[in-house]
Amino acid sequence: MYAPATGKAKPVEEEVITEENVFDRPDETIGFFPKQVLYDLFVSTLILIACCVLSYLSPAPLTEPADPATITYIPRPEWFFFFYEQMLMFFPGYALIGFGAVVVPTIFVGLLFAVPWLDTGPQYSPLRRPFATVIGLLVVVVVVLNMLMAVARIINFPGQ
Amino acid sequence: MAELQKDPMTRGDFLGFGILGTIVGAILTIPPAAFVLAPIIDVDILGKSDVPEGPDDWFEVGPIAEITEEEPKFFKVDFPVEQIYAEPKVQEESGISKEEFVVESALWVSWRTEILGDGTYGQSYRPSFLDNYDGGTLTEEQVQEAQENLNVLSSSCAHLGCPVRWILREGEGELLCPCHGGIYNINGEYVAGPPPRDLYRYTHEVREDGKLYVRHEFDVGGENGPQEPYVI
Amino acid sequence: MIGRIRSQAIDTSRFLTDWMEHRTGIVTMMEHFLYEPVPKRGAWLYTLGSATLFCISLQFLTGILLLFYYVPTTDHAWDSIYYIMEEAYFGTLIRGIHYWSANFLLVFIGLHMAQVFFSGGYKAPRELNWVVGVVLLLLVIVLAFTGYLLRWDQDGFWASVVGMKIGSYSPFVGGATIHFLLGGDVTGPATLSRFFAIHVWLLPAALAPFIGIHLYLLRKHGVFGSEFEYSDRLAKLHERQRLELYESYEENGHEEIGETNLGRRNREERDRRE
Repeated sequence: MYAPATGKAKPVEEEVITEENVFDRPDETIGFFPKQVLYDLFVSTLILIACCVLSYLSPAPLTEPADPATITYIPRPEWFFFFYEQMLMFFPGYALIGFGAVVVPTIFVGLLFAVPWLDTGPQYSPLRRPFATVIGLLVVVVVVLNMLMAVARIINFPGQ
Repeated sequence: MAELQKDPMTRGDFLGFGILGTIVGAILTIPPAAFVLAPIIDVDILGKSDVPEGPDDWFEVGPIAEITEEEPKFFKVDFPVEQIYAEPKVQEESGISKEEFVVESALWVSWRTEILGDGTYGQSYRPSFLDNYDGGTLTEEQVQEAQENLNVLSSSCAHLGCPVRWILREGEGELLCPCHGGIYNINGEYVAGPPPRDLYRYTHEVREDGKLYVRHEFDVGGENGPQEPYVI
Repeated sequence: MIGRIRSQAIDTSRFLTDWMEHRTGIVTMMEHFLYEPVPKRGAWLYTLGSATLFCISLQFLTGILLLFYYVPTTDHAWDSIYYIMEEAYFGTLIRGIHYWSANFLLVFIGLHMAQVFFSGGYKAPRELNWVVGVVLLLLVIVLAFTGYLLRWDQDGFWASVVGMKIGSYSPFVGGATIHFLLGGDVTGPATLSRFFAIHVWLLPAALAPFIGIHLYLLRKHGVFGSEFEYSDRLAKLHERQRLELYESYEENGHEEIGETNLGRRNREERDRRE
């Protein structure tokens, strides 16, 4: 039913390490139980405690009831959509809005799905496959920069 | 563990799978799809709307005499919404709900203003009879003049639907969208920022009682072909 | 006396364990699930995935609890959440956990994804686990978007208006997209009902099996970890390859140098040529 994970077929001494089996088993392992479960539980507990503390320090927001006819409210996305909202600024006008808001993200998601087939080389270390690493870092930098720009724009908005 | 018994598939089996599969598949896909995609069928194919849009469905906005030359005036109109449980028929027959379901809409109404070459505002076309108007019946010419010179704008930005606001910048007023900084002039025409077109205009009518009426209908045309406002 | 109770208790528990094992195989299954060798060096790094799973579990739990009081109608949605926040026992906590763990969830998904990307964990044979992970990411993003409207407050309402209007700019299907989300052609009761159905039933029901597949594939191929988990083995491999290279030098001269040193890819190419 369950295929054995990370090949543990042969004892370490007998095994001849080849290109094919070098990544079959890590050098050092621990049992999933109890150590790894304990680590996981530790992080989970921290998250739960953080959630509880934040629930009272900064309760989940509930602003005024929805008013579709307001003219004073400033719509702002949640923080994880900041970079996306900021990106829309760079695609003004009839021809570009749809491109920037829908087409570009769709292409990006398509590329995300295709990552395993775009980078098929035998190297794993980020240092030895610089192209993928640079692209990944570039995405991170663009997202973070866009987020900062969105925050700057929101802070500087007149009348806020 | 027992060996897998692999009987060959006969013609009859194949036919059975085909027929039964078609029946079950059809029942489990077509009605649910219609059930869930009802809005697309109603709006995009049958052209229905959730807000009464017939030629007689006019809704009062307010007296036009209150609108000044310098700035657009903010009005609120409640359009009844006939959507799922809010449908009047359902509400009437159940008799339980005391609430009237409406789509509240914000409107900016201004007098047509001449835009000078440098973007500043020139003469306003506010009808002069309104200066000392006492609320009486208007003549047909006055109605005509007022109706032609009114901008009845939806407050929903043509870019992403945020509510635009009237702000003063260097003495000149403009309608600003707080989301991405789209700017429109007093006539609701596009000036700057990401919006693809002017603000949406309601189909409007001025009547003899000196009040403005609108229908839930917009000018969808534009330089780039028709564009629906969608969320208002 | 105490000794007898103790031995009886041990007998009883052994009997119960055997009884369950005989009928369900649960003991073998638990052993299989729990005793698995996992990479040791980066153990703390791999808690990112389990943190994501924990946040999603919190979402399911608190989401179900919130449904005991939440009402998805335009005239009562805001009131019911106000009730949860102000009146319900521990309402602030339950909703707070739902809200904050949703935020943490997105953080941990991002970190988990970055960790897998930069360590190359998506490479063969783990491609499909990456694909399933991207599906999970998209589902969570849509869940985050649809959950926002359910409050029916200013923040949620307007963020959703903007989001839906963005959908209307989709090429060819813009109108259908936004009318599907609106449940008509204006924001109204149907919009809230739809977002409720999508957020509470459709997407969680889609999410759960994908989480199952994600975990199954993880166990099937094992945690990859990162290259530093294999540095000793890689060192041994390179050492052996170097020795073989020298040997081939001594035996064959210069013609067939490096035949044994070829990488996996080159060897495959050679096999194909033959």
